[in-house]
Amino acid sequence: MKSAIKWTLWQRRWSIVWWGAGLIAFITLELSVYPAIKSQAKQLNQALHQLPDTVRSLFGAQDLFSPVGYLNSRIFYLLLPLMLSILAIGLGSSLIAREESEGTLELLLSRPISRGKLLLSKALAGLLVILVVAGIATLALLILVKAVGLAVPLPLVAFAALQATSLAILFGALALAIASFGRLGRGASIGIASLIGLGSYIVASLESNVHWLETPAKALPYHYYNPISVLYGSYTWMVTAVFLLISVALVLISWLAFRRRDVLSS
Amino acid sequence: MAATKPTIAINKLGKRYGASENFALKDLELEVLPGEVYGFLGPNGAGKSTTIKLLMNFIQPTEGGAQILGLDIVNDSVELKRHVGYLAGEIALYPKMTGRQFLGYMADLHPPKHTKYLNELAERFQAGLDVKIRDLSKGNRQKIGLLQAFMHKPKVLILDEPTSGLDPLMQEEFFKILKETTRAGGCVFVSSHNLAEVQKMCDRIGFIREGRLISEQNIAEIAEVAARTFDITFVEQVPKSELETITGAAVKMDSTKQATISMHGDLSPMFRVLAKHKVATINQREINLEEEFMHFYQKGKS
Repeated sequence: MKSAIKWTLWQRRWSIVWWGAGLIAFITLELSVYPAIKSQAKQLNQALHQLPDTVRSLFGAQDLFSPVGYLNSRIFYLLLPLMLSILAIGLGSSLIAREESEGTLELLLSRPISRGKLLLSKALAGLLVILVVAGIATLALLILVKAVGLAVPLPLVAFAALQATSLAILFGALALAIASFGRLGRGASIGIASLIGLGSYIVASLESNVHWLETPAKALPYHYYNPISVLYGSYTWMVTAVFLLISVALVLISWLAFRRRDVLSS
Repeated sequence: MAATKPTIAINKLGKRYGASENFALKDLELEVLPGEVYGFLGPNGAGKSTTIKLLMNFIQPTEGGAQILGLDIVNDSVELKRHVGYLAGEIALYPKMTGRQFLGYMADLHPPKHTKYLNELAERFQAGLDVKIRDLSKGNRQKIGLLQAFMHKPKVLILDEPTSGLDPLMQEEFFKILKETTRAGGCVFVSSHNLAEVQKMCDRIGFIREGRLISEQNIAEIAEVAARTFDITFVEQVPKSELETITGAAVKMDSTKQATISMHGDLSPMFRVLAKHKVATINQREINLEEEFMHFYQKGKS
C-alpha cells in the first residue's frame, strides 16, 4: 500500500508545486493590498452598507474591511475553499478514473494488491496532496497576516484554513465516490461535485435573504462552513469532524462501487 | 491428461456485459497443463481479451469460473497475482515515466525475488530504460511491457498479443523466455491472431469465434494440413494444364502470366513443374488462419 501512495505522490509532485505556488500568489495578491485599505476601512464599510443585503451576502460578510471581515471575504469565504475544492475534485475524479480510462489500472491490478487497498492508497495519496497544498497555503496565510498587520489571532486563521480544507476534502471524496461507479463516472464526478460545491456556495450565500432557500441549504455542506465565526473565535471541531466523517463514508461508498465491478477497457 | 493437474482450469466460464443480451463469452471450458503453451486464437471481437480479463479478474464472470494453480480467479485473485505475469493487448504505460521508473513502481508493488533477473532481461531485450516512455517506439514500449510481465519469474504467463511491434530478433528472445518458463514447469496462455507466430510458440491451440470455443487442436496437426498459397508470375504464359496435374493443387488464373496455387501437403511436385518454366516472381501468402482452422475442423468432424 505504501508503494502505491508513494508513486501516486511522485506522479503528482509537479501538480503539488504548481498548486502551492498558485495559492501563495493568490494569497499574497489579496493580502498585500490590506495596508492601503486599512486606513480607509471605515469609509469603505459605510459605502458597502448602501448596497442591498443580497449583494453583500455574496461577498460572505456584512463587514468587508475590518480585519476579520477582510480576511473572511478575501480569502476564507470563497478563494481558499474554492481553490482547494477544485484541486480535490480534480484528484477525486482522476485518481482511479484516469488510470482506468488510460488503461494503466490493469497494470496495477495485475500486481498482488486488492482493489480495496488500491482505492485506499489512492484516496490517502489524494488526501496527502490536499493536505500538503493546504499546509503551504496556511503557512503563507499566517506569514502574510502577520506581515500586513491584520489583527486576527493566528491560531484562528489556522482553524479557519482547516475548516476550508475539510470542506474541500468532502468535495474530493464526493468526486471519488461518483467516479468509482465507472462508465460516465469521471465526467459526471467533476460535474456533479462541482455543481454541489458551487451550488451550495450560492445557496448558502443567499439563504439569509431568500427564505425559501433556508431548508434546502441545510442539506448542503456550505451551510455549515462558517469561517467568519471561526475567525471571531467560536471554532468548534464538530463541523470539521462531520465533514471528515462524511468523507470517510463517501470513500466507503467508492470501495463498495469499485470492489467487484468490471474495469473498463481503455 | 487426467494424471497431471492442470495449471489453468476454466469451467463453463461466461460473460455478458452490462445490459447486453448477448454473451461475449459462453460456456468456455479448457485446461492448460504445466509446461504447456496454449494459444488462444480467433478473429477480433471473438472473446479472447474477455477471457484474459476474466482470468485476471479485471471483469467479473456472469457464470462459471476458473482456477489457476488451484486458486479461484475471483476469490483468490490477490494471491493468484503473485504467480502470474500479465501483458495487455494494447499496453498502456505511464508516458511521463522512464522505463526504469515504471519498472521500479511495478517492483515496489510486487517485489521480485530475483533482483538481478530484471537487469538480465533488460539486457536480453536491449531495452533502453532511461528514456521517457512517451518517447519510445511501439516496439520498445512492448519490451517494457514484457519486462514487467516476466520480471518476477511467474509460474503462469497470461499474454494478449505479446509480439506485436517486436522485431524478429526480439521475437526470438521472447520465444526463448517462454521456453524457459515452460521448462521450469510454468505454463503460458497466449492470445493471437497470427498463425505463423502461434506455430512457433504454442503446443496446443483453441479457436474461439463469437464467444464460443469451436475446437482445440495440437498445433503440429494443423500446420501439417494447412494449405499454402503462392502467387506466381511467369515470364511467359502460365502452363495451366501442367499445373493442374499437380496432386493437391488448386490453380486459379489471375492473368495470362499470373496464377495463384493453393496446396496441401508436400510442395515438391509443384516445384518440379515450376522448374521446367521461367518464373519471374513467387510469393507465399500469409496463411489465413480462420480458413485453415475451419478447414481442419470440418475435416475432423466429417
